[in-house]
Amino acid sequence: MPKCLVCYKWTLDEQDIKVKPEDLSLDSSRAKGKISDFDRNAIEEAALLVEKNGGAVDALSYGTASVKQSLKDALSRGPEKAYWIADASAETADASVTAMVLAAAIRKIGQYDLILCGEGSSDLFNQQTAPRLAALLDMPCLSFVNKLSLDGDTVTATRKLEDCEEVVTVKTPVVIGVLSEINKPRIPSLKQVLGAAKKPNEEIRIADLGLKPEDIQPKAVRKSVKGFVMHRKNVIFKESSAADRVAKLKASLASEGLC
Amino acid sequence: MNFELTEEQQLIGQSARDFAKEYLEPIAVELDHTGDFPKKAVNALAKHDFLGLLIPGDLGGAEAGFVSYVEVIENLSRYCAAVASIVNNHTIAAYAIQNWGTAEQKKKYLPGMAKGEILGGFAIFEHGPTPGVGADALVAIKQDVGYVLNGKKAFVRNAGEAGVYVVFATTDPALGAKALTAFLVEADAIGVKVGEKLETMGLKGCPVADITFENVVIPETAVLGAVNEGTAISAKALAVASVAEAAQTVGIGQAAVEHAAAYAKQRVQFGKPVATLQAIQTLLAEVATDCHLARLGLQNAALLIEEGKPFEVEAAMIKSFLVRLGSKMLLDTCQVEGGFGYSEFMPLPRMFRDIAGTNLLDAPGDFPEKLIAASIA
Amino acid sequence: MSILSPEQQAIKQAAKDFVAKNIIPFAAQYDKSCEFHPYLLEASKESKIFAMAVPKEYGGLDYDALTQALVLEEWGYGCAGMGTTLAASVLSMDSVLVAGNDDQKRRFFTPMLNAEIGSFGLTEPGAGSDAGAGKTTAIKVGDEYILNGTKCWITNGSFAKVYVIYALTDPAAGMKGISAFIVERGLPGFTIGTVDHKLGIRSSNTVELLLKDVHIPATSLLGKEGEGMKIAMKTLDMARPAIAALSVGLAQRALDECVKHVQKTFVGKTYPGQTLQFKLADMQILVDAARNSLHEAMHLRDAGLPYSKESAISKTFCSDVAMQVTTTAVSLMGSYGYTSELGKFMRDSKIMQIYEGTNQIQRLVISRAVLAPPPAAAAQKAGK
Repeated sequence: MPKCLVCYKWTLDEQDIKVKPEDLSLDSSRAKGKISDFDRNAIEEAALLVEKNGGAVDALSYGTASVKQSLKDALSRGPEKAYWIADASAETADASVTAMVLAAAIRKIGQYDLILCGEGSSDLFNQQTAPRLAALLDMPCLSFVNKLSLDGDTVTATRKLEDCEEVVTVKTPVVIGVLSEINKPRIPSLKQVLGAAKKPNEEIRIADLGLKPEDIQPKAVRKSVKGFVMHRKNVIFKESSAADRVAKLKASLASEGLC
Repeated sequence: MNFELTEEQQLIGQSARDFAKEYLEPIAVELDHTGDFPKKAVNALAKHDFLGLLIPGDLGGAEAGFVSYVEVIENLSRYCAAVASIVNNHTIAAYAIQNWGTAEQKKKYLPGMAKGEILGGFAIFEHGPTPGVGADALVAIKQDVGYVLNGKKAFVRNAGEAGVYVVFATTDPALGAKALTAFLVEADAIGVKVGEKLETMGLKGCPVADITFENVVIPETAVLGAVNEGTAISAKALAVASVAEAAQTVGIGQAAVEHAAAYAKQRVQFGKPVATLQAIQTLLAEVATDCHLARLGLQNAALLIEEGKPFEVEAAMIKSFLVRLGSKMLLDTCQVEGGFGYSEFMPLPRMFRDIAGTNLLDAPGDFPEKLIAASIA
Repeated sequence: MSILSPEQQAIKQAAKDFVAKNIIPFAAQYDKSCEFHPYLLEASKESKIFAMAVPKEYGGLDYDALTQALVLEEWGYGCAGMGTTLAASVLSMDSVLVAGNDDQKRRFFTPMLNAEIGSFGLTEPGAGSDAGAGKTTAIKVGDEYILNGTKCWITNGSFAKVYVIYALTDPAAGMKGISAFIVERGLPGFTIGTVDHKLGIRSSNTVELLLKDVHIPATSLLGKEGEGMKIAMKTLDMARPAIAALSVGLAQRALDECVKHVQKTFVGKTYPGQTLQFKLADMQILVDAARNSLHEAMHLRDAGLPYSKESAISKTFCSDVAMQVTTTAVSLMGSYGYTSELGKFMRDSKIMQIYEGTNQIQRLVISRAVLAPPPAAAAQKAGK
């Protein structure tokens, strides 16, 4: 009967973010929040594990004040309780800060057999949270996991690496980073959505975590975030025959060293 | 005044959106071609609690509010308005049973309706201008066995698929509509004859047919509400239905304007995307505006329904608005897409045919303005 | 409506009778099967109606503009799809009328005397409203032109005997390098592509034309090289009112069917209330005004006066009226509207606002005329 914890991030839906053409800055004013994509897979995976093996899932999130909007969403997807830390420091947090805060919170909450999160967040995709968390909690870390099963206290995972797939076993407790292909999150039914309001949630204050000020100082400072716009060359070849047009195109590509 | 949906309402809407993308988007085109009742999709809807959205929890429903309901309908309609029609007509029948049914009636039908085992239908219209009046009107004669129904109901949605119909018949032809009474008639009752499926312009997949009643015997316990309360019941239920249908219109309109805008951004004529032309911008802007205002109007009416407050005037207003401007959403977006907006290989023509079915008058001469005027003059 | 001469009245009645016998009973069927059926051409042979715009010296009926509009209104009344077949054939023929020499006219017009039809090939996937952006080429080699390209949304494509195809004789010159050609069916390399399945006018045949190294004699060139766009614009000016006429017929039909249903529903002592009465009155006001705007344009054309602005106005107004009237008809008649032929009329109306120059393009033409300085000021300006 495993006790699982899923760490998830509440991010902005990138579909709603517009790039201002003048200076490529981002306009997020109309962006709605969402649970980071891979984290959604992590929540689903934990829910599936618990449906199969018994036990329970908790959820934990560290974010700005907006993290409160994420609770019902997360609780409608399987977890029984949600812990949350809302602090301004999350706005500029880098991977080291995030891992520090989450680790401190986990130490405060209690013991878990499996700690899951997405391989990377849908906004920054640093892919550092799981390994850093494992190091801080002195647990093994399994990353790039696309298949997971549990037998007693033994976890069997398939890791998808660049040129091969590796099957590993490890004893709990363990930190696991999951890929999106591990599952397809089910759509919460209406009863699950409405049931989320009845589930408990608990705020953890960052001041109660016993962290030093330098622990929540980001080591990597973000200077700017700009949009990427693809510029089209808009070259049209107007030669009358197809053969001539192809020849012109070939010459043009060759002059740019592309063929 | 808070215009924002609650978290639950947003999550429910998102669930409906995700559901529609997964289960309805892949079948929408085929459904429009065949018109075959989408049984698999309806079963999936039931599993996600969409068919019992308004039904109380102790009867197996999700017990969500009406604002959540219209959020669901709008999101389903963005992908497949025909399926949204099936849900709407089913839900109005369940609403009637929930609001006017006895404890026994509710227990008999609502759990099955919540599970999708029984689909609901609402048989109010006739070929004459007023239900209960005219040669073909449905008449219910009281006898010691209960009531005997004879006559015809017209344009019944979910006909042939529903397991139970909320049927309106007059208990006294001389009094006509004044003696209109609501009954619960099961589809397999002897003498219930569902006619041939009618060819609809759109919303194909939601069956529409006339139903003939030939000496249909139903017990007294089949009366829904009080005898002669039928006109009041149908008026209220149809008012609720018009808000639900408005959500369909807005869902279709929203999908259309998004598609047309995306088209306009990439269609280059005269050296620039047509989205840069004021003519196109005007068309898109008007549709987006009407859609937005309609959404606010229907959400307001939905909230009144949810809070048990008077809502009939607001419901009539949103209907009046969309009778005038509903189909325009597709007339204008099809215009933006030009020849592509006329080709059935593209999605807009299907939406054009669908949206026209969501702002129909209940019957010729039955204008929502009458009720609105009565409320102010 | 204009006061008609006895001859015009007779022609209008003949068209009405033809439509009642040969079009109305079959319109719903071919709308459902989404096909043009050549039975229509067979039935039209006797009246020579497909040669209604062909001059007398070539054996045609030589109807004036107003008379053509009367005929097309009747066909629009019966079925806008079948009306489109007629209108599009006349459209193609108008190009030859504008720019063809005597030999070309004979070549093009003669088949029409026997209910063979024509097809107008201007539109391409990248050249809709921007008609001058076409890419089809016609390269001169010796005493031939070789055509290559794709045309789309071409009415009558599968069934036409003769086509007017617009192509670039000088690709580098863009719009000014377009020329017009007569192309006959069956030439090697000239094939029919996808058949379009449409929202409405489903009984009209709409296809892609595929041209791959199609050889045509140099004598197939209409007018001079580079005159293509001028010819096309003159042609469309002439043909616009045809769409207006179809629209008026379509709108009148929807209104008539509405009225029939209202009369059937409100029998005996009951009578529709004021709201419904006034909606029907508004529909009639629009249809009559539309017809009048069309007839004004036709009078001007028959009198040899400039009518470009009025032509655009009539196309725009009549098609907008058809759209409005048919949409109102469906909603007004409730579920009956949604399950009856009223749905077809609404679907058929939409294309009237789009083809032969979208109503947005028409408004450009009209606003140019509206905003043009008055003649005295223009002369003064020119004098400077």
